[in-house]
Amino acid sequence: MTTKLPALAFRNIFRNLRRSSLSAIAIAVSAMAIMALLALLECMEADMQTNLTSYYTGEVRIRHESFEKYERYNPLHLSLEVDAVLPLASSVEGVEAATSRINFPANLYLNGKNNGALGVGVDFATEVAFIDFPSLLTEGRIPQEGKNELLIGAILAHELRLNINDKVTVLTSTALRGSNAMTFEIVGIASFPVGGLSSKTLYIPLDRAQYLLRMPGQTQEILLQVAEGFKEQEVAQEVKSLLATSLGLETETKAWKDLNMMYSLLSMAKLIYYVMAGVFFILGSTVIINTTMMVIYERMREIGTLGALGMQGKELTRLFLLEGSFISMAGSTMGTLIGLIIIAVLGKVGLNFTEAMSGVDMEISSILYPQVNWWIALFVWFYAILIATLSTLIPSRRASKIQIVEALRYV
Amino acid sequence: MSNRTRLVAVTLVCLLCIPFSLAAITAEDIIRTMDGMQTFETSYSNGSIKTTDRFGVKESTFKAWSQGSSDSLIEFTSTAERGQKILRTKGSLYLFYPDAEELIRLQGAALRQSMLGSDISYEDMTEEKNTLDDYTVKLDGSELVNGRDCHVLTLTAKTRQVAYPIQKIWVDKETYLVWKASYSTAQGRLLKEMQVLATIVVEGRTLPKESRIEDKMKRDSATIMALDTLEVNIPLDRKIFTLENLTW
Repeated sequence: MTTKLPALAFRNIFRNLRRSSLSAIAIAVSAMAIMALLALLECMEADMQTNLTSYYTGEVRIRHESFEKYERYNPLHLSLEVDAVLPLASSVEGVEAATSRINFPANLYLNGKNNGALGVGVDFATEVAFIDFPSLLTEGRIPQEGKNELLIGAILAHELRLNINDKVTVLTSTALRGSNAMTFEIVGIASFPVGGLSSKTLYIPLDRAQYLLRMPGQTQEILLQVAEGFKEQEVAQEVKSLLATSLGLETETKAWKDLNMMYSLLSMAKLIYYVMAGVFFILGSTVIINTTMMVIYERMREIGTLGALGMQGKELTRLFLLEGSFISMAGSTMGTLIGLIIIAVLGKVGLNFTEAMSGVDMEISSILYPQVNWWIALFVWFYAILIATLSTLIPSRRASKIQIVEALRYV
Repeated sequence: MSNRTRLVAVTLVCLLCIPFSLAAITAEDIIRTMDGMQTFETSYSNGSIKTTDRFGVKESTFKAWSQGSSDSLIEFTSTAERGQKILRTKGSLYLFYPDAEELIRLQGAALRQSMLGSDISYEDMTEEKNTLDDYTVKLDGSELVNGRDCHVLTLTAKTRQVAYPIQKIWVDKETYLVWKASYSTAQGRLLKEMQVLATIVVEGRTLPKESRIEDKMKRDSATIMALDTLEVNIPLDRKIFTLENLTW
């Protein structure tokens, strides 16, 4: 009898195809939703990593040790000497690229009004390893060192009705806690993947930023990219130690993962979503529990007959468990496949969150392109089968405990 | 009492009252005299603004010209701000920066921004001396400040256009110098405090030479503004208070 159980279970599925299909579809929908959600989370995490390490903190960021403490006061005087720190940091094994940046709050003075923006002084030559400015340009060119030229985010330019060759006066506070203003010519308009950058940022050559902010030869931060095979935390520690021993300079040198709370939260969110996925599957499996229970009650006579013919309680449990697992397998396979197709399509078309993310200050791109991750697909497929199958245990165990005499009374 | 006696008595009382009525100075009179003492046909001064905050001490030097109660021009001479100018004409305030191709006009709340990170706002530095246009005044009494007998007055803003809805000032009864002032919101929250540390006498008028200003919204911050020289009623080219001339 035991060897025939799978065949019997398989045949039972088709006895009420509509009911079995309903169970399978419930599992499929859950699997598909979880697939899509996890793929989106994976994509967001990868996208955030790229954006953070390119546009914000590099893989390792070096700052004056007290900068963070006074950050809200824009303490530009707590700076680093570029010529002393940059070559030394670059000499550490594992450092692939280094660049200097100065971020400063700025006001664009237009038609008698100040318009808030974020100014960034960058060395366009060394930025190549971090921000691919040429690929982001929608109009114009990259500003040249030594010239009062700037590159502006596309949304900001659009909102302020600024075009190439227009001149704007940038008003800001200096490192000496005074104020200063300079007029720049717009030579480039760039569209950044992160909406926040396009809507508020302007990039000027580092030497002009140093002049504007009264920071000759100084920078607010030095960013590093780490070579493949090296750990950011270890490189950061090594750079910090070297700066302390060689220059007697105490710095805040940290790896990007330690600097970005949002990334940590996203990683944590992923774990939470895995737990939620389990809950979703259990919810989906309630359809299976329900249908299996119905099957047991509707098939009491059959269970009684099978018991009378000598089938043991354990075998009855296994029979219904097999039925459940077959349905789960079908549902999970169907859901995973549909999920894969949806992700593949979205990976080509892209998920556009531009509208939804307008005004949201997050380092995630406005358009996301989820990619098929086979490990996630395998995980979801297996996970769906496991949870859905386990959920049939309750009604299966119920079936095993039914007394033959009681079951036969259902005739 | 005969009619004649009554008439004499009334006349005497009236005559006795005249000196009292002449002596009863009003709050408005004090303010008018105070503004008058601070206003010159023209003036030229140079001095410094020394700000101490959590990051240390910062000093900026300046030259300033004024004309009447509403026109003033300040040019910074310290290295960090060299060439920057602030021009105030009736109702308008402009900033000139040597590397900017346009003048920046400050309006509304921007006037209350800190000047060079100090405890003094652009409005404080260039304020017009026409207090009674903007405030109603009340004489609260007298107090001794720095050993000087002072009138204590409370000024309440008539409009919302002023930086400080409530001002309490201590005006020297003899020289009409404001020795001390506290500036508050309409709800009574203290915004700034000013006190004169040293004085200078110019053409018979006592004026502040060194003042300490504390912005109560900033922690551990204080600014001392000092004048090195002050010349008054000197010949000045009227053009220096014009926008056209600002960029020389």
